[in-house]
Amino acid sequence: MTSAPAPTPQSPRASRRGWLDERLGLSELQAAILGGEMPGGAGFWHALGAAAAGLFVVEAITGVFLALFYAPSVQTAWASVAYLQDQLPLGWFVRGLHSFGSSAMIVVTGLHLLQVLLFGAYRRPRELNWIVGLGLFGLTALFALSGYLLPWDQKGYWAKLVEATIAGSTPVIGPAAQQIIQGGSAFGNATVTHAFAAHTMALPAAFVALVVLHVYLYRRHGPTPRWWLSAREVAARTVPAWPHQAARDATAAALALAVVAVATLAQHGPPLESPADPTSSYLARPEWYALPLFQLRMFFEGRLEIVATMVIPGVATALLVALPFLDRAPTRRPAQRRAILFGAALGVGAMAVLATIALARDARDPAYAKARAEEDARSREARRLALKGVPPEGGLAVYRNDPLNRARELWEQRCAGCHALSGTGGDKGPDLKGYGSRAWIRGFLLDPDGALYMGTAKLDRGMKPVNGSLDELDALTEMVYAETGAPDANPERAAAGRALISGKDCDGCHEVDGEGENTGPNLKGRGTLDWVEAVIADAGQPRLYGEKNKMPKFADKLAATEIEDLAKFVIGQKTTR
Amino acid sequence: MDAKAFDTRRAFLARVTGALGALMGAAAVIPGLGLLLAPLRKVTVSGAGRPLRVGRAQDVRPAKPLRVTVAGEQQDAWLRLERVTLGSCWLVRATETAPVRAFSTVCPHLGCGIDFDDKTRQFQCPCHASSFDLDGRCLTGPSPRGLDELEVSTSGSDVLVRYQRFRTNTPGKEPIG
Repeated sequence: MTSAPAPTPQSPRASRRGWLDERLGLSELQAAILGGEMPGGAGFWHALGAAAAGLFVVEAITGVFLALFYAPSVQTAWASVAYLQDQLPLGWFVRGLHSFGSSAMIVVTGLHLLQVLLFGAYRRPRELNWIVGLGLFGLTALFALSGYLLPWDQKGYWAKLVEATIAGSTPVIGPAAQQIIQGGSAFGNATVTHAFAAHTMALPAAFVALVVLHVYLYRRHGPTPRWWLSAREVAARTVPAWPHQAARDATAAALALAVVAVATLAQHGPPLESPADPTSSYLARPEWYALPLFQLRMFFEGRLEIVATMVIPGVATALLVALPFLDRAPTRRPAQRRAILFGAALGVGAMAVLATIALARDARDPAYAKARAEEDARSREARRLALKGVPPEGGLAVYRNDPLNRARELWEQRCAGCHALSGTGGDKGPDLKGYGSRAWIRGFLLDPDGALYMGTAKLDRGMKPVNGSLDELDALTEMVYAETGAPDANPERAAAGRALISGKDCDGCHEVDGEGENTGPNLKGRGTLDWVEAVIADAGQPRLYGEKNKMPKFADKLAATEIEDLAKFVIGQKTTR
Repeated sequence: MDAKAFDTRRAFLARVTGALGALMGAAAVIPGLGLLLAPLRKVTVSGAGRPLRVGRAQDVRPAKPLRVTVAGEQQDAWLRLERVTLGSCWLVRATETAPVRAFSTVCPHLGCGIDFDDKTRQFQCPCHASSFDLDGRCLTGPSPRGLDELEVSTSGSDVLVRYQRFRTNTPGKEPIG
């Protein structure tokens, strides 16, 4: 057994190290972990486990930094992750290392498992270390599943909901298991805190404990050399593990991390979808590593579903655990373990095929592409709005930051009872779709008491239709249109319209100076923001509809900013289709 | 390979191992420092910054300070709160017609909540016994400066205060955030 180089007494650095070493036994510790020999030589074959361990350390470090700004509750989870990712320096990068790092850990741990399988390293006397390794693989999966939920975005929410429901369909213990996993009777705050406690406390502790056991057993039994070397070659090529294998371990780990960092840079951080919306019909897709199971389930409907969710994964896991005891081959040469290796290849191949089917189906499906594009747009909007801070009601309330969204909400509550938009809504006031457009104004002038216009208000002696030539109608339309402040209004046509006001007896009821009061509204600035705000605030003021008004006064019911938002919303109906 | 070349190679590999390990550690830790040190550069909690209504002028009696709370919108890291209590202040006026002044209730010493003692007619810190007169001047105790006065404006009979917090335990009055 070779340990780390012995300290040379003359250099001060070495003597300092000697002082510490005498007290802490660092070189012994290093020798215990990285020492020993590599029979048959060092190699990258044996570096996969160390690469996974290196990635785990990166996950642990980045995880602590993320926890500085993560707040586990339904109301704050999405908001705090969006804040961390979009507003804090390098937050996107730290979260990217953590998120893409978890995918890398699954890949590297999986490759490690396959290498051990191929080398026959699970055989006597290493059976228990094989099982410990499987446990670590299982914990890696649990890390991924629990971490996925934490941002409480659409993807995490729906993936976890499906998983919890699958757990709930387990015979006998299902319902109880589901409630424990989700931390309560339904998805909610306790679900987030449970996932957080598991992800940041229980799982790391269990993982570290199993890693210690794994390394202890590895050091006890040593590495399994390449099977194609003869006993003489193995003996001749044997080198100390330190530093020959350690250098390869570090290289493999650094390469894996480099891939993760490049992925993070290329994507500018990991995805963060829009806030979890339990009322939406989200096209839930699991993360890549769960796609085989997702696709497998497609082949089993109804009562058979359990075959895909429980039976097949359960049998596969049992076979893996039992593998060292099922392997009866006289040596670990692959040629003598054909059945086992063929079975493993079949399993890996089947997973690859299933995942490919799932990806190919979505790639061909225009409905999926559309849903994907919608979610991307929604996520961008939510994250843009979150820059102003998220209301305390939680991630979904972020859409209220957009005045237009707030106005839409107000419209539903306050206006839609009487006014319709394209026929949807109440029928006691005019339909305001297109209000402010030439078409709406022209239609109004032709038929003020029509079903889409004032007729709905059932006014006593309302406005009479304009009576004149098409040219005159156009001119009057342009005149009213110009009052909205529309930049594309034709000033000559509008002037022509203004010249018609007296002749057509408009001025019998309407003033156009902005001050005068008459039986009809003063048309100066009709349809501008100020004018619409004034109508919403108090349509019954003498300058506007006066005694003919039937619309409620909102000045004392809504804040000035709300009236402004609503007025913008109404004016926006000119162009919104 | 002779023994010397073997040793050189071993030393090289040991250095490579150490360097790669340090590189990985740095790759994980340095970006994280962006988060750890973010509070040095970023304001995480910010209040209204505009005058907020705290009460009516006629309720402030001469030489009888009135304690009022200041509520307004606040941005607290990821949350945008529309109406939270930002803090409280004492409203004081010398005579019936004198303008209303406002003093933060945060003691300039270590931040305890300043009280008013009706008997001595002085502001009193319950923690370290600093006392202040009705003009906010520090009379006794460890406070490094007088009470922090806040900007007051009026609108009709309403008193509006621009609430601010200041660094404590410094001789000067430095606003935070």
